[in-house]
Order: sequence, then structure tokens, then C-alpha cells
Amino acid sequence: MKIFQVALGILAAIGGFVDIGDLVFNVSAGATFGYQLLWVVVIGVVGIVVYSEMCGRVAAVSGKAVFDAVRERVGFKAGLAALVSSQVVNLMTLTAEIGGVAICLQLLSGLPYRWLIVIAGVALLVVVWVTAFEWIERIFGYGGLCLLVFAVAAVKLHPAWGSVGHGFVPHMSTQSPLLYAYFAVGLLGAAMTPYEVYFYSSGGVEERWGPKDLKLNKVNAMIGYGLGGFLSFALMITGGALFLEKGIQPEFLGTITLGAEVPLGQIGLLLALVGILFAVSGAAIDTLFSGAYNLAQFLGWEWGRYRHPRGAPRFTVTWAVLLVLALGLVMTGVDPVQLTEYAVIFSAVALPLTYVPIFLVANDRTYMREYTNGRLANVLGLLYLVVIVIIALTAIPLMILTNVGQN
Amino acid sequence: MTGSIDLGLNVLDHQLLDSENRRCGKVDDLALEGGPGEALELVAILCGPGVWRARAGLIGRAAAWLGGGGRVRIPWEDVAGVGSHVKLRKRAEELGLGRGDDRLRPYLEKIPGADR
Repeated sequence: MKIFQVALGILAAIGGFVDIGDLVFNVSAGATFGYQLLWVVVIGVVGIVVYSEMCGRVAAVSGKAVFDAVRERVGFKAGLAALVSSQVVNLMTLTAEIGGVAICLQLLSGLPYRWLIVIAGVALLVVVWVTAFEWIERIFGYGGLCLLVFAVAAVKLHPAWGSVGHGFVPHMSTQSPLLYAYFAVGLLGAAMTPYEVYFYSSGGVEERWGPKDLKLNKVNAMIGYGLGGFLSFALMITGGALFLEKGIQPEFLGTITLGAEVPLGQIGLLLALVGILFAVSGAAIDTLFSGAYNLAQFLGWEWGRYRHPRGAPRFTVTWAVLLVLALGLVMTGVDPVQLTEYAVIFSAVALPLTYVPIFLVANDRTYMREYTNGRLANVLGLLYLVVIVIIALTAIPLMILTNVGQN
Repeated sequence: MTGSIDLGLNVLDHQLLDSENRRCGKVDDLALEGGPGEALELVAILCGPGVWRARAGLIGRAAAWLGGGGRVRIPWEDVAGVGSHVKLRKRAEELGLGRGDDRLRPYLEKIPGADR
């Protein structure tokens, strides 16, 4: 029974791994560089596994979620800076995800886009208000599993498996190294998006994890995120096998679904659209809550997605306000795919502000007692801090130099 | 409470929990009393947006202004324990904490499904 539940949780995590940032960056990276950047996805996925395990462990042992730890460790001033930057990035991401939901609905129904933004907003509000959170996670997680159609599509497109394999070995054969670096930074940013750890650690605190849950935490992080990374490979391979040869740059979400439609026909298209719809809606809900978690944890308010809205009023109002703000931003007609690129790049800049305090807390005996980082977590954690700092410093210059990946 | 507490690391910026374990703010600042050369005594925890002004320069002032500038002083005698959180002896309402949640609650309760 227990194994069954863990398996269900893992399935939901796989379905919930991919969001609009992963879709956009993996497919465009494939369309631009073929399979060359697969190794970067591996690095990104290992990074999110390392840091979500750390955040889950901090939550289980100390009962503190990310922004509790951030404020306690770096103080009010630096904490406030981290809060403001993460909220800006979160709102951008949320806006992009909601735009993505509306685009999927439009492709499925043919109704006007603006109407569908409103429908998407109301639907999200109602789902979050009336559905128990266990169910939200399952519904969107399982729905997101439809994205596995891209794995089938990737095989059906008969990629040159030799070059796919070669893609897992770091190498670069291109005339435009800057663009290559831009995509590498984007893929890492998309895989290690901070909202995932905010959400994950807050969930751990809410479910009252204790030291006895540390094994579950490890399994969840490794298998859930690890297999989620498998979907990223599939997306990049379809991008490489289909779009690179034809010279197509997928600038629309609809183009991405071609990756499944061309090899698998109508059923492929439908599964891809439904998968994207669920994955992106689930991500919209995660980002929505992450924004509310961060603010409530920083200011010490009551918070929790498992609580009745009346049990955590300011938290509830915060997510409602964020939803309205994001809907307003989507309504301005901003292109969700382009906004996604900006959101991922800016989130890369904000990464150190989240991951450095977590690393410090995970090594602090006063919080963690005997459960501080082991040698592996510390070596990997430090390596990734170096990677994260490099990403943060280079993200915006690369964005400017490559004209947001247009070159 | 036995032994020593590192005020900077174990009290400042930590979560406040009231006697019923309600989350009701953070330790935004500490009030110490005592002149130069005398023993310093911790007399109170300071809490609320009005305290942020002194802690983060310009963005602190902006945040304080956004938050309405209120401040609450909790006498150190009302602290029951310092562990992972700072636990208080009284209920949040008695101390004037968590008022934002209390003010919003009646409105939320009017919406169906607020207590599912």
C-alpha cells in the first residue's frame, strides 16, 4: 500500500515536472542545436534533485520552509531583496503559464484567446478554491503524463541515435558559441526554477515531515525529478529530429505540438495538447502558491495550501491577488512564449539568492542536528553553487548579446 | 531556558508562535536596555512594518510604508521558549499580533467553501 502511494506520488511528480519554461527551452534548443545540449539537461536535473533533497531535508528536520530559512540566515535586508526578486520572477512565470493554458484551450476549442484567458483564470480559481490539494496534485500530475507522447514521438521520428548518445557528452560544434551558451543557461534555469523548491519544501512542512520521512524525501526528489528529466530529453529530441532539419524555430506553443502530430497524427496532437494543458495548469497553481508561500513565510503569517482559506486569510488573499495581477498581465497581449524566455533567464539571476541560504542552513547543526549535509550533498551542493553563480552572472549579458536567443 | 542563546542567530528574524501555535509574525527587531559599560538587558521583541524602516534602508522604508507602519512591542517576559521558533505565552490577539489575518477573516468567511 505504501509503495503504491509512493508510486502515485512519483507519477504525479513526473507529470508535474515540465512547465512552459521546459517546453520552450527544450524544444527550441533541439530545433537550434539538435541533440548537442542534452548533457546540459542532465546537469540541470541533477541540480534540482540535489537542492530539492536539501530543501526537503531542511523542512523535515527543522520544520522550516525556504523563505523562513532565507530570512533567518541572511537577515531582513538581503532576505527582502531575495523576496522581491523571487516574487517578480514568480509573477512572470505565473503569467506565462496562464498564457500557456489559454493558448492550449484555444488550440483545443478555437474560441477567441482573450475569452479563454478569463476562462482559464476563473477555472484555476475555482479548482484551487474547491479542490482538496491532494487531488489538485494528482489530477494535474496524471494529466501531465500525457506528455509521454513526446517520448513515443521521439522514437518514431527515428533520430540518429548515435548523435543522441553523443549529445550526453559535453561538446560544442557550432558557429555561434554565444547562442549555445544562452541555451545552456536557459536549460539550466528552466530545470532548476526556484519555484519548484519553494513549493516542495513548503509541502514538506505542511505534511509535517520528520526525520523518519527523510528516505521518502530522497526517493521523491531522485525519482520524481529524475524521471521528469526524461520528458525534457524527449522534448529536445523531438525538437532536434523534426525542427532542426526543416529549419523551423518553434515560436508558438502550437508549433511544439507538431513534434507529436507529425509522427503520430491526430491522436498525438491531442495527447500533446492535453498533456501541455495539464502540465502548464499544474505549474500555474504551483507558482501561484509559491508566491503566497514566500511572502507569508518572510512575514511570519499563517500559510498553507491544506488549510481552509479562513485559517490563513492573508495567504489566501495573496494568491488571489497574484492570480488577478497575472491575468491582467496576460490580458495586455504579451506573448507567453517570449515572456517564458525572460522569466527563465531572470530566474537564473535569482537562483543564488535562494540556493545559497539553503546550502548554509543544510550545513548548520543548530538547525539540522545530525542530519546536516553529507559529503556527497556538500560536494555536489558546492559545485552547483559555482554553476549557479556563473549562470546568474552570465544570464543577462547572454540574453542581450544573443537578442533573446534570436541571434 | 537554560544555557545561552545567540540572539542574532536564534531569535532575530525567527517565527513567532502564540500560545495556540498560531503563526503571528516574525521577530523583526529586539529592544535592549542598559547604558555603556552596564549589563545589557533584553526587554522586548519588536514586530511589525514600522520596525522594518530601520533594518533595510530604502527598500525597508518602502516596505514599511506599504505595510502601514504599525509596530508591536512584546515584553520578553511573554516569551515562553526559544527553539526552532519563538514561542509566546499569550494568544496573538492579546498581544496585538496577527491582526491582518483577523481583519480579513470575516470577509473570507462569507465566500462559500472557505472552510472546506
